[in-house]
Amino acid sequence: MTRIAELTGNDNYFEDFHVGQRMRHARGKTVDVTENVLITNMVMNTAHAHFNADVMAGTRFRERLSFGGVNLSLAIGLASQDTSENALADLGMDKIRLRAPVVHGDTLYAFSEVLEVRDAERPDAGVVRFLHCAVNQRDEIVFEGERMVLVKRRSHWGDK
Amino acid sequence: MTEPSRAEALVAGATLREKGHFYESFVVGQVFRHHWGRSVTEADAVLFTTLTCNSNPLYFNREYALAHGHRDLVVNPLLVFNTVLGLSVEDLSEVGGPFVGIDGLDYGVAVHPGDTLRAESETMAVRLSRSNPDNGLVTWRTRGFNQRDEQVVEFVRTNIVRKRDAREHFV
Repeated sequence: MTRIAELTGNDNYFEDFHVGQRMRHARGKTVDVTENVLITNMVMNTAHAHFNADVMAGTRFRERLSFGGVNLSLAIGLASQDTSENALADLGMDKIRLRAPVVHGDTLYAFSEVLEVRDAERPDAGVVRFLHCAVNQRDEIVFEGERMVLVKRRSHWGDK
Repeated sequence: MTEPSRAEALVAGATLREKGHFYESFVVGQVFRHHWGRSVTEADAVLFTTLTCNSNPLYFNREYALAHGHRDLVVNPLLVFNTVLGLSVEDLSEVGGPFVGIDGLDYGVAVHPGDTLRAESETMAVRLSRSNPDNGLVTWRTRGFNQRDEQVVEFVRTNIVRKRDAREHFV
């Protein structure tokens, strides 16, 4: 029988986060049709700027634009192993800004800073507020935003 | 010169069925109950989470989710957010430009595979853009609910929205 604590890392419990900590996450991901078009259509987003290459060829962008919801979800995903692998819940986000367009072939990299750590209503977890951002292959910021996560305490979950 | 086929006549004579709303359609306080709804399947939930490289096992490992008191996998809240936003696009932003920002994104009750989401929005602010006369800025509060009318997400979104007489069209 696998212990649940063996399925996730041991360097990202609530006790491991402190205000001011800045992280560059290890992996990037190239946004392609698989991410943008599939997810845009899957979530019923009808704006064809994201999936009609013909109509976009006639605009100043020249090609399809990746849906901002995909871009920010990928940024959070790339940040997740270091920030929320041991989360009990994603609580919310705030101050989300999409700074630059993303097109197929662009590669995103994620960064995170710990803005706040505080006790939660339950004793086995705490709340961490992060600033996340994503840059493309030219180091242009394409997304930034804050995110609140309920993270397990090692003291309660580390030996489960 | 041959007669045009029925299909050629159809293409030549068809009237565009326009979708979406221009800037002029938005007034503060109006409420939209968005179309379609969407049942979220386990395939949606796991594919979205793995494609976006999200490594919280609650979103893709059922045994792990059960061990944390959930009745099934938890649907990644970012998929819940994206689906509720997606359902709102035709009413709110299909003829607009890119969305500018989201504030106050709060997740509600957890969503599990098989749950059905629906979306509604209220227009919060409507203003012209001084730097961009072809477009305005519109802000809405959007809420998502499950099949039991429990709130699963809410957020405030601001978008660039094209005016009806815009000279340059975004798309």
